[in-house]
Amino acid sequence: MRSNDSDLRRLDSASEAFLGGDQPFESPAKEFVPGPYFMGVEEVMPELGDDEDSDEASVSKEKSKLSVDRRDFMRLFSAGAMLASASACVRRPVEWAVPYVDQPMDQTIGVPVYYATTVDGTGVMVKTREGRPVFVEGSGSHPLSQGSASQLAMSELQALYHPDRRKAPQIRYGTNRVSDVSWDDVYVRLGERLGTAKKIGILAKHTSGNSRKFYKKFLKEFGQSEDQLYLYDSNALRVNAAAAHRLAFGIDGYARTNFRLAELLVGIGSDFLDVGTSKVFESKNFSRNMSYKFQRKGEFVQFESRTTMTGGKSTTRHPISTGDELAVTLLLVEALLENSAAKGTAAEKENIRKVLSSARTVMDEARSRLGFGETVFKELAKNLLTKKSVVMVGESSANSANGTLLQLAGIMANLLAGSYEDKTLDLDRAWMVASSGDNDMARFLRDAKSMDLLIVVDVNPAFTLPASTGIRETLQNIPSIVSVQSMPCETDEYAEFVLNGHNILEKWGDEEPVAGVYSLVQPTVRPFTDSMQAEDILMWASAHAGKPLGYQDYRSYLMDQWKELHTASELKVDFKTFFDAHLRKGWFSRIGQRDLPELADVSEKFNPAIPKKGLKFVAYLDPRLYDGVGADRPVLQECADAMTTVCWDTWVGLAPQKCKDLGLKYNDLVALKGPSGTIEVSVYPLPGLHADTVVVPRGNGHADGVSRVSTGVGVDPLTILEAEYDSISGIPVTSGQTVEITATGRRYRLAAQQKHNDMANRKDILKTVSLATASANDLAKKEFDLDDVPDLYPKLKEHPHYRWGMSIDLEKCNGCGACTVACDLENNVPQVGREQILLGREMHWVRVDRYFSGSVENPTVSFQPVSCQHCNHAPCEAVCPVYATTHDEEGMNNQTYNRCVGTRYCANACPYKVRRFNWFTHKWNVMGDRPIDRNPRALNPEVTVRTRGIMEKCTYCVQRIRDAKHNAAAKGRIVADGEISVACESACDTDAIVFGNLKDKNSRVAVARKNMRSYLMLGADPHHKHYGLKTLPNTSYMAKVDLHGAKDKSHDEH
Amino acid sequence: MSDDVKWTKTISDVNDGILANLEKPHPSYYVAWTLAIIFVGIGIASWAYQVTYGMGAAGLNSPVYWGVYITDFVFWVGIGHAGTLISAILFLFRAKWRNTVARGAEAMTVFAVITAGLFPLIHVGRLWFAAYWMGPLPNTNNLWVNFRSPLEWDVFAISTYLTISLLFWYMGLVPDLASIRDRVKGFKRLVYGLLSFGWRGTARQWHHYEAGYGFLAALATPLVLSVHSIVSWDFAMSIQPGWHTTIFPPYFVAGAILSGCAMVYTLLVPIRTMFRFEGFIKEEHLEACIKLTLLTSTLVFYAYAIEFVVAWYSGNPYEWAIFVKRAVGPYAFYFWVMVFCNCIFPLVWWSKKMRNNIAVSMVVAILINVGMWFERYNIIVSSLVEDFIPGSWGHYEPSLIEIGLTFGSFGWFFFWFLIFCKFFPIVSMSELKLIMPKPLSTKKNS
Repeated sequence: MRSNDSDLRRLDSASEAFLGGDQPFESPAKEFVPGPYFMGVEEVMPELGDDEDSDEASVSKEKSKLSVDRRDFMRLFSAGAMLASASACVRRPVEWAVPYVDQPMDQTIGVPVYYATTVDGTGVMVKTREGRPVFVEGSGSHPLSQGSASQLAMSELQALYHPDRRKAPQIRYGTNRVSDVSWDDVYVRLGERLGTAKKIGILAKHTSGNSRKFYKKFLKEFGQSEDQLYLYDSNALRVNAAAAHRLAFGIDGYARTNFRLAELLVGIGSDFLDVGTSKVFESKNFSRNMSYKFQRKGEFVQFESRTTMTGGKSTTRHPISTGDELAVTLLLVEALLENSAAKGTAAEKENIRKVLSSARTVMDEARSRLGFGETVFKELAKNLLTKKSVVMVGESSANSANGTLLQLAGIMANLLAGSYEDKTLDLDRAWMVASSGDNDMARFLRDAKSMDLLIVVDVNPAFTLPASTGIRETLQNIPSIVSVQSMPCETDEYAEFVLNGHNILEKWGDEEPVAGVYSLVQPTVRPFTDSMQAEDILMWASAHAGKPLGYQDYRSYLMDQWKELHTASELKVDFKTFFDAHLRKGWFSRIGQRDLPELADVSEKFNPAIPKKGLKFVAYLDPRLYDGVGADRPVLQECADAMTTVCWDTWVGLAPQKCKDLGLKYNDLVALKGPSGTIEVSVYPLPGLHADTVVVPRGNGHADGVSRVSTGVGVDPLTILEAEYDSISGIPVTSGQTVEITATGRRYRLAAQQKHNDMANRKDILKTVSLATASANDLAKKEFDLDDVPDLYPKLKEHPHYRWGMSIDLEKCNGCGACTVACDLENNVPQVGREQILLGREMHWVRVDRYFSGSVENPTVSFQPVSCQHCNHAPCEAVCPVYATTHDEEGMNNQTYNRCVGTRYCANACPYKVRRFNWFTHKWNVMGDRPIDRNPRALNPEVTVRTRGIMEKCTYCVQRIRDAKHNAAAKGRIVADGEISVACESACDTDAIVFGNLKDKNSRVAVARKNMRSYLMLGADPHHKHYGLKTLPNTSYMAKVDLHGAKDKSHDEH
Repeated sequence: MSDDVKWTKTISDVNDGILANLEKPHPSYYVAWTLAIIFVGIGIASWAYQVTYGMGAAGLNSPVYWGVYITDFVFWVGIGHAGTLISAILFLFRAKWRNTVARGAEAMTVFAVITAGLFPLIHVGRLWFAAYWMGPLPNTNNLWVNFRSPLEWDVFAISTYLTISLLFWYMGLVPDLASIRDRVKGFKRLVYGLLSFGWRGTARQWHHYEAGYGFLAALATPLVLSVHSIVSWDFAMSIQPGWHTTIFPPYFVAGAILSGCAMVYTLLVPIRTMFRFEGFIKEEHLEACIKLTLLTSTLVFYAYAIEFVVAWYSGNPYEWAIFVKRAVGPYAFYFWVMVFCNCIFPLVWWSKKMRNNIAVSMVVAILINVGMWFERYNIIVSSLVEDFIPGSWGHYEPSLIEIGLTFGSFGWFFFWFLIFCKFFPIVSMSELKLIMPKPLSTKKNS
């Protein structure tokens, strides 16, 4: 990544500096260590910031035993600054940039420091400026991230700086009285509770790291069973696959698809590009290996009932009815079994036959419903056996009643297809993200009834479990609940101890997402509020209860665990060097080997439920908001949903033909009556859905007041589900229950960011070439110069070394919208809220256009990210009367905010409609009038904040370009390829976006631009001397590759 | 044309008759003036709201960055066209009928251009900078205006047009102001005395006046064509489909004259009644005005039709798609309002009977005004709503603020026009006398 060696060296000492900050009960620090803390305008000018300091003052005084803590220091500092500035303040507040008095060794103002940590299961680099995290991007070296970060990880910044975070721990006395208390009070009281409790349970956010071990140690200390640790994850695939692998092979973890080796993927209800096991990793490797690359394109056959991004990237897609995934998998297994080339031992085959016979009813019943015959399975089985292949089954986003059985069936299919043998399914580096049994929610709900004390850490069962499971009553009946949450949530309502936990960017920890890959979580900033890490709270409380766990804090526990890794690693360095090095790197790996055990006889457990009749309901995880954790982050709420482009809302997706049958139209408000409730949602006719399928995304519909961002946004589809659990993994069923739809006669407009869905037969916007054509061109090493265009105008002045350009590969893009989120966060792009979106005033600098083509029942979906194209003949530049938008010699189209008067002619002139106008001044105030107003501390200090009346647009992250140029100039060289990674590029899971220097003939972007697949949007057909608008953008697109398309004649000719 | 006029009054009636407006006016005048003030109030309140809260107060969005404000701007600039056409071009062509309507038309021009000039300021995001950054003012940053920008051309075109129109109008006023000076006493005499620059009516002064007036008329004539051509380039110079077409300059000029003439008619008829000018502004003059309107209506009709042909013949799918959608798409209503008001309804004027029916003609003239407003709305909005990339297509509806400011602009225009009607001669007395019969010798002079 972009962190250089000196940054890494700093990182070392910087993380030491956190020792003082994380341990409130340590002996008083001898001297104030400023460390990489934050310093910004609202610190020295409190009136520009929030009033958080005043709220917190009383608490911090009680708590702090440091002689001068950071806030006191700042307060003194600000008093001085105020005195100095008082006379200068006339009408506008004067903004002061105050230098450090004593510059800390590890901080240089204006020079970012990067910390490697792990967020959302992937390794990230957190960029901090003056001690404050300003951007989260994937860690280039991390095996699971490979340079990209998920939307949830990137938006963690908004959670860190969230105005609704609790400022102090609270204790509920009686039923209604909740008071802010000091941490000492918490420990004393919690210590008492721990001392008296007979049955203690811990319900924590799923982790594969050492905190699991720690929680078990804690439980053991208090004489509890280790089984009373429940790790909750809404991701159904992770839990079911782990359960199935334990059952089938008796192993931990589950096999990981090795896309590098696969030639054919069969997805059956799979959604690995939407949520998957680890979306970033899977998207990245799918795109790197399965998308078109020099004459080869992987085949991906998908059977699905929903319209997913995953299905969008398939080469063949079969819509099937919800619940038929199991039957389809078993039919495939049957076809494989019938094929003589099938792999697996005779005993295994016998076991599989047993399973098939016990599931005969389900298969026969589904067979009649499928729109395709046996030949599809026969053909597929043949291909599976001849090609290196993987069958990926089951959704992460939703769990059907047969979830684990589906995984078992998937295991059988893969076994027969030889996927384990071929190593296309990797057990050595298996997914360890879920552990079997820990996430048994059915068991939790049973056990919780007898619990005295429940400790809930960073999960929100009151919201993420269907109400019909009785979760709320269960929580109500537990005498004492400790809720440690980094953000307020519904579960807090039931807690006696409402404790403000650390954000992931403030805490210590580790993960083992893949067997043998250990990934560290370290603080990147000193805690913003008076928060504590859950493990530390337990440690201190148990000390008060008279059962100290023997560690000063969780960090020392963690280091102890890593000492074991150090010993096991047999590296010839001392532990400190080992740990520090991995703290810098972020991860450590030690890959073992695992042989595939023989498939056990699972036929006894194989009692599949028969899919219900009628309209089948799927409440799925929204890829942006997940199970609701993202709902309080405006940047995720405002990121357009990939398929519908709707934001700030919940919608019900219905097949267009079903809408027609029911007489429903887009935006019609309907009542969805499920087995245990009714919700009202607006209809979105979603092409590609199976006619029997009704989909509603989860994540919204939070209780009022939990967060001001999520209040009043959407509805929660879980409320209409009846309590039903997977028979093996015990997780609640969210898919396949029947619903009735009745029109309410009312309408409610969904805030869709794209109002028009088809391409209107336009040919030079989004292009597709056939595999044959693309291959022929690549084989012949044909190149084309898109810039060779006859031109009457004088040549543009050019920089001798630089011409920046971007290439976007539509073959790779899966529409996830991570680029939008990254761009919003990097460039201080405001979120505007539902009303403004409805008016068409979204501010995204990069949007993802989505187009359907082909039939409504089974369409092809195409995505196209569009940001400023940086035209060399920019229509916007000529029309600005005040020269606010100008061309620079490096090829960029620059916007001078200060000069802009807001005639908006540039935006009219722009054929790509990528310019965004500030219709209002979007406040950057924590306690602004609207919840979406962002914390000024979360702003990127390198990017100007725009006021109203100003046009803005993509700048190619000019601040990053300047940064790299200065670095390079200091070293007397020019910027190398890959040195600059613009925000959207760094976020792109699929590597679809490439940015670089077009003057460097060997740069990735220059090579891509020369490729025959490249074209300029609205550039007509330059191969045949039609130049379209002739705007000559520096951003070029690469055409999608159609696996089945016939060789394109027009492309053959050149 | 004016040879056929059946005059009932002679030049001896002119001064008394025309300057009757200086006396206590008809009560309807007060009603009109109050209404104008109320509308100005609505406009000011709307603007204040927008300035306080931001441009978001308007219904504008992405992709429709221009809407009602630019429509209003073009509409008022268009209205401002007939004045100069009537006073300058028809003066050079020696069309006598213009003498009765020229003054009113010129005043309308001046106030319409002043009204139009407000809209770019209302429209821009940061008017506090736009007000002077759009001008080529020397500054320490060495920042200059962009002379490639059609908006910059607009700044010069409109300001030049306003200057010439104002001078032309005022120059014509001077002899008449002197007449008023000679009729009033006291403070008024002082004011009108200053305003009339010491006009004595000597042969030498008339000689200079005639030369100067002719010279200004010649100067103003090309402006009639240039101003609206340049306004049309605001659109035509961009590559937006529906805008990017060479037909725009003549099409806009014809449209401007159509709207201007219709507005002259709309204004003169009530004034004629309000101030009892029936003896001076004869039916024949009104009919001449209608004939000019009908001519330009026909030109505009042709332009509408040929625009479609050009779009189809271009073979440009984006261009053609815009035109098809104009006629049958979501904004078709505005298109058909435009066609009916500007092309179909004026057809009744082919009948002389209808031309002379003031009530009918008044309705048609007002409909033309409405139609011409919608023409601009149609050009601007329907082109922007759905342009190149279907993914960014949008929707636009004016907000109450925009509607308030539009009504406000009418209030503002009529406010000034009514003040003018009360304190200045609405019909050029000196020019009127040239075409009216002398007393006792009606046969010789016509």
